[in-house]
Amino acid sequence: MSGLDIDVLQVATFLVIALIAAAWYLSYAAARLDRLHTKVEGAMSALDAQLVRRAEATLELATSGALDPATALLLTDAATESIERTTEHPLAEDLLDGQHFGGREQVEATLTEVLSLTLTDELVTGLRAEGDELVEEALERIGASALRVRMARRFHNDAVREVRRVRAKRAVRWFRLAGHAGLPERVEFDDEVPAALGR
Amino acid sequence: MVCPYSFDVPGGVQFHVRDLAEVFLAQGHEVSVLAPADDDADLPPYLTSCGRAVPVRYNGSVARLTFGPVTSARVARWLEGGRFDIVHLHEPVTPSVSLMALWAAEDPVVATFHTSTVRSRAMHAANPLLRPSLEKIRGRIAVSEDAARTVRSHLGGETYIVPNGVHVDRFGAAPAREAWTGRPSAPTLAFLGRVDEPRKGLDVLLRALPAVLESHPGTRLLVAGPGDAQDLLRRADPRARAATTVLGAVSDPDKATLLRSVDAYVAPHLGGESFGIVLVEAMAAGAPVVASDLSAFVAVLDGGRCGVTFETGSPSALAAALTALLGDGARRASLRAAGRERARAFDWSRVSGQVMAVYETVLAGAHAEVPDPAPRTLWNRLVRSVPGTGGGGS
Repeated sequence: MSGLDIDVLQVATFLVIALIAAAWYLSYAAARLDRLHTKVEGAMSALDAQLVRRAEATLELATSGALDPATALLLTDAATESIERTTEHPLAEDLLDGQHFGGREQVEATLTEVLSLTLTDELVTGLRAEGDELVEEALERIGASALRVRMARRFHNDAVREVRRVRAKRAVRWFRLAGHAGLPERVEFDDEVPAALGR
Repeated sequence: MVCPYSFDVPGGVQFHVRDLAEVFLAQGHEVSVLAPADDDADLPPYLTSCGRAVPVRYNGSVARLTFGPVTSARVARWLEGGRFDIVHLHEPVTPSVSLMALWAAEDPVVATFHTSTVRSRAMHAANPLLRPSLEKIRGRIAVSEDAARTVRSHLGGETYIVPNGVHVDRFGAAPAREAWTGRPSAPTLAFLGRVDEPRKGLDVLLRALPAVLESHPGTRLLVAGPGDAQDLLRRADPRARAATTVLGAVSDPDKATLLRSVDAYVAPHLGGESFGIVLVEAMAAGAPVVASDLSAFVAVLDGGRCGVTFETGSPSALAAALTALLGDGARRASLRAAGRERARAFDWSRVSGQVMAVYETVLAGAHAEVPDPAPRTLWNRLVRSVPGTGGGGS
């Protein structure tokens, strides 16, 4: 009789310990995932902010009057499109909403392309030679934000990779630790810094 | 900034950290560097020592690292006392202070990967252990495409490439020295680096030298760098030995002067180079560069456009390259000009701007995050402040 008692006690103790360990692990994994989601969100909003800066600086340059009308129109068109498509609420109440890039890749790639096609070495040297402070500043800002777009996109994609790896874990999938959060996507578009501004 | 290697011993990573810190200080930023160093050594004011470094065999070579609970406590105190906006770790997976700082850090972390030879079984084995810590890095920088490839194969994911920096003007403005300057009948070659480290390839150069001497009999080789060269010289061809002058370890100004004076700088490295900062220094000083065709070197030389490359480890290829270059003054002049132009891309003024841009991008992301309102219950603390994952809620 007493032998059976001890067995039950032992089993119960082990069960409780195992349950606590499992609960701890799950909470820990959930906290880790939460942190990673937050990181992706932050990285996305950094990317978003730089894209807006790039588009604004491009508009500023286009409307400065220093460019020929054809170039100015091309730049205005691409930049306006980008500004219009900026996610309306990049940081909504819920952290994990608005996570997707909203299919803006094409628009941003177009702006990149137009920038590198129009801002040739020749043109930039010419503009800089004129010594207009506003133009100079706009060029500076396009270059700086284009560089930061490149960085922010890489950092964002890296964070996405980490989230996706953790979310692929069995424990995370079985216990739905990610809740209703959408699976973050990588953002892929051509983000080459215009060669004339890159140096 | 955290540097894993002992600060009182010269080395690429240490110089990088030192220069970057000094550039940022000069720009008016506040910088504190944490690194192992002898407490009695002459240390710059921005350096905090985290204890003596111990030479340990790690990853195939002897590295001076620091570890243990005392260091761990010092790292934690430094992080707490510093209230940094950004913690920038160098070589975060080296088992030294950088890794400890990564473990303990709660501020936004930026990490720079320098090496391209992290072929460590231990790192693979410890991967699950390090993963949660590595997830704290918000911005990963690699110094070259080679270093980025290493990171990709070991840890996965992307890095942003910011090259190593050089004070280009210090090299460009260095005076030439008569004794090291080549004449048409007696050209001079320079070798820089630890002479007794086979990886640096002095042996290849010594074996190439006899063939060079046949067409250019007056050629002199100037060897600068720490280590004992006697052993290597004794085994070398007597003609090569006679043409070689060993300068020993040289000061920074002397290094610039040497590179400024010679007719060619030779980089016969056999491998394990992720960047090739000396090549940039040579170009900045206006020395024509003859280098092994390691991918990192070819990249620094802009696809080989700004220097001469030869098949890595081949004395005959090196001899052919040197003979051709020494016989062609116009080619040397054009290489000097191309090198000077190319070196500009690695000037600290440009490089530090890019690093600062990384900081700003990372900070923008960190500030955009909504702070975690988790209550400070015991369970929450247990879950969230597990070492190595950062105390998210605390």
